[in-house]
Formats: sequence, structure tokens, C-alpha cells
Amino acid sequence: MLNHIWAFLIIVSLITAVGYDTYDEMQDTYQNGKPFPAKTFCKPTFHSSSGIKGEVVLEPEEFQQFYGVTANVKECRLPISLFVDSTGNGTFLLELSTDAPKLWKTMAQSVSATEQLRGEVKGFSLGKDGTNGNCSLIFEPIHFVKLKAITNAAMSMATTAVEIALGLIGIMALWLGLIKIAEAAGFLTILTRMLTPITRRLFPDVPPDHPAIAAIIMNVAANMLGLSNAATPIGLKAMEELNKLNPKLGTATNAMVTFLAINTGGLILIPATAIAVRAAAGSNNPGIIIGTSIVGALCATVAGVIASKLLQRLPWYAMDKEKGDSEKSHG
Amino acid sequence: MAELFKNIVNLISIIAIPAMIAIFVVWAVCKKVRVYEVFVEGAKEGFTTAVRIIPYLVAMLFAIGMFRASGAMDILVMLISPITDLIGMPAEALPMALLRPLSGSGSLGLMSEIMKTYGPDSFIGVLVSTMYGSSETTFYVLAVYFGSVQIRRTRHAVSVGIIADICGMLGALIICRILFGV
Repeated sequence: MLNHIWAFLIIVSLITAVGYDTYDEMQDTYQNGKPFPAKTFCKPTFHSSSGIKGEVVLEPEEFQQFYGVTANVKECRLPISLFVDSTGNGTFLLELSTDAPKLWKTMAQSVSATEQLRGEVKGFSLGKDGTNGNCSLIFEPIHFVKLKAITNAAMSMATTAVEIALGLIGIMALWLGLIKIAEAAGFLTILTRMLTPITRRLFPDVPPDHPAIAAIIMNVAANMLGLSNAATPIGLKAMEELNKLNPKLGTATNAMVTFLAINTGGLILIPATAIAVRAAAGSNNPGIIIGTSIVGALCATVAGVIASKLLQRLPWYAMDKEKGDSEKSHG
Repeated sequence: MAELFKNIVNLISIIAIPAMIAIFVVWAVCKKVRVYEVFVEGAKEGFTTAVRIIPYLVAMLFAIGMFRASGAMDILVMLISPITDLIGMPAEALPMALLRPLSGSGSLGLMSEIMKTYGPDSFIGVLVSTMYGSSETTFYVLAVYFGSVQIRRTRHAVSVGIIADICGMLGALIICRILFGV
């Protein structure tokens, strides 16, 4: 299943990216090579050898007409540096502020991953007052926006993955150490004994006093309290303990899937992140979603546990359907 | 009532970690455990566990990153929306339901964006934040947890995760409709 989904994600992204890029080429979405008529406003004092600093006055109707779009564009002024000779030809550097059209931002991202657009200036001339001028801007040609985007995403996410994993090292070590102490002191046995009636039903394959049960209980408790820094290390400890009971290394056991169903259900008493975002967006009652979130998470958790119990019986998902590799994968 | 509940849970969240550390250590000292030695013994696993996750996490995150960057999500939304329209899922909230299990940071950004467009106290705003708050990044959890013990054959885990996510999103939709419905 995971193999198929993984391949699906990659193949679909490639096809979609090629599709979008072909469409862009055919429609000439970015009007490559065509001169954009720009009105510029230059501050007279800034004329110097390092170029003329000024502003492009962007008029929505003109922009929409040039690109043949109907998207909402704000009227705005964008800082521009012109490097022109006496005939008024040369190059420019356009800075995109927050109000700049989305299309231009996409173009800038695609070319240089910045908020700047470069290109050629044609026929720059200043008006009589020495401030208002007109010119044509020819942007650098834009091709294969989506293909470049998926390439960048693949590279940057690979880096992100390693950063996430390495960031775990410290808190992993802390919690694994603490759990070891708790285990040695016999604290975990006491914890598991209290919840045995529940855990025995959820994890029939795991002995009720196994350290895995204690780690599972602590993981669920930490998750409910929103202590993700503690929940992940303890959850991984639980997986390690469950794996000790695994007859076929490299293949998930029923207990693991049930545990992950509880875990991905995301039961949390206070959804702190969502509340913080609501508060930042100016909500009158950011905490209003506490109750609804608990209901949603309960639905997910109960459905997940039931599904894990039902699906584990299907021959399609049988443990010995696929070859195990117990020799190789013990690491 | 809700305020009281929130305060109590917040208090427990703040106390939980220091209390756990204190209880473990004090308990162990009373039981004459060589606490420092045992701690170091356990902690040395931290590095290997974290490093073991890397290939699984890279595989998962890069595929999801490509998928998001390609714009395929928009097409998926277009394909699915006729079905979700039937059950009364607002089209504006559908991208959230699809993105939430795939990407934590992505869905967080999407939630802020939707909140800005429709307002946090609108039905869409409440629904989307409920969806975010009531769910985990399923595929990230699967990659990290299975990766840590080198599980490659995940059997029914992905199906279970997807079923749970669908039920969670539907649950969020139904409860929001009942309480704040339009």
C-alpha cells in the first residue's frame, strides 16, 4: 500500500508538472520576450552612475490586459533600478513588494528564488519634469516553472528530513535515559498495572506487564497534553519494545498498527497550535475549537482502532503474505 | 466551564515534564538504582534511533514535497469536490482535509491563509481549525515510527491511517455543522 502511494505521489507530481508547463508554453502565460509597457516614477536626486532608482507604477487594468488574466491585482508602486545608456536601453532590476502581482512573484521565484525580477529595458525616456518616464520592460524568459519547483521541493525536503531527524537526537537521548531509569526503578510496571483492563483488549498480543505497554501509555498521555517533545521519543521507545516481540523483523505487527492508529488519531486535549493561529488571526473566541477538535480526534481514533482490528484479519494484510527478512534488517 | 477545562489542562501540561523527571529520579534513588549510569545507558540509544529514521523520512517528505510543489493538489481538489459537495463539505475546506495527513507545516500555512481570507470565526474558519487541531500528520508519523524500527512492510497501517483521517475529518465537519452550522 505504501509502495503504491509513494509511487503515486511521485508519478502524479511529474505528470502534473509537465502538464502545467506545457500549458504555460502553449498559452504563453508569462508573455516571454514581449515588452511590458511601464510607467516609471524616478526620484531625480537618485540619478547616479550606479543606475537610476525609481518606481514602477503598476496599473491593474494594464497588467490584466498584458497577461490576459482576470486575477485581482492591487495598484502598487514597485522599486526599480535602471541601468541604461544614453539611448535609453539597458537592463533593470525590479523589487517585488508584498503588493506585487502573484504572477510576477511566481516568475521571480522560478528564475532566482528571490523577490527580484531582472530583464532588459527598451526606450527609457524621462518626461520634461525629469521624474515621470516611460519604458518597455522585457523580463527574462520563464520556462518550466513547475518542473523547477518540484526539483527544488525534492532537494529542500530531503534536507528538511535530515534536520528533523538530527533535531530529535537530544530529546531522544533525554527521554530514553529517563525511561530507562523509570524501568530500572520498577515504575513502569506500576503504571501498566493500572490500565491493564484497557491495554489487554487493545493489544492482546503484548503481555500486559511488558515495557512496551508502559511506553504506549506514556506516549498517549504526552500526546493528549500536547507535549510533542516528549511524545515522539517515548513513542519511538514503544515501537522499539513492540519490535522486540516481532516475529518477522521489517514487517509491522498488529500491535504496532493499533498503536499507530491511536497515535495518528491525534487525540489532544488542547490543540494549542490551532488556537494560537486563531488568536493571531483576531478571533473573538480562539478556544472555541477545543470541544470540536476532541470530537473529531475521537472519531479518528475510534475508527482507526476498529479499522486496525478488522483489517488485520484480511488475508491481503496477513503477516506472512510477504517474505520477511529477519536476518538482514536487525540493526 | 470550557475556560476552566482549558486552564486545568494547561496547568497539567506545564507541570507534566518536570514532575515526570522528578518522580522518576526520586523513585529510582529510593530504590537504590544507580541513576546516572542507567540514564547514560538508555540515552546512548538516542543518536542511533534518530539517525535510523533519516532514510524513511527523506523518502516520505521528498515525495510529499514534490506532490505539493507540482500543483497536483488543485487537480485532486477539483476531482474530489463533486463527491464532497454531496455531504456538505465546503469546497474551501477540502484542501485542508487532503493536506492535513500529508504535511504538518503545509497545513499550518494553509490554515493561516484560510483564516485570513474567511476570518477565524466564520464557519469555514472554525471548521478548518478544528480539522487542523483534531488530527495528526499521519504520513509523517508513519515514516518516523516505522522508520525507527526499520519496518518497511507496513501491512494495513496506511489503510488504517487513511480510514481514521477520513472519519476524523467527517467527524469534525459534522460536529461543526451541529454546533456552528449554516
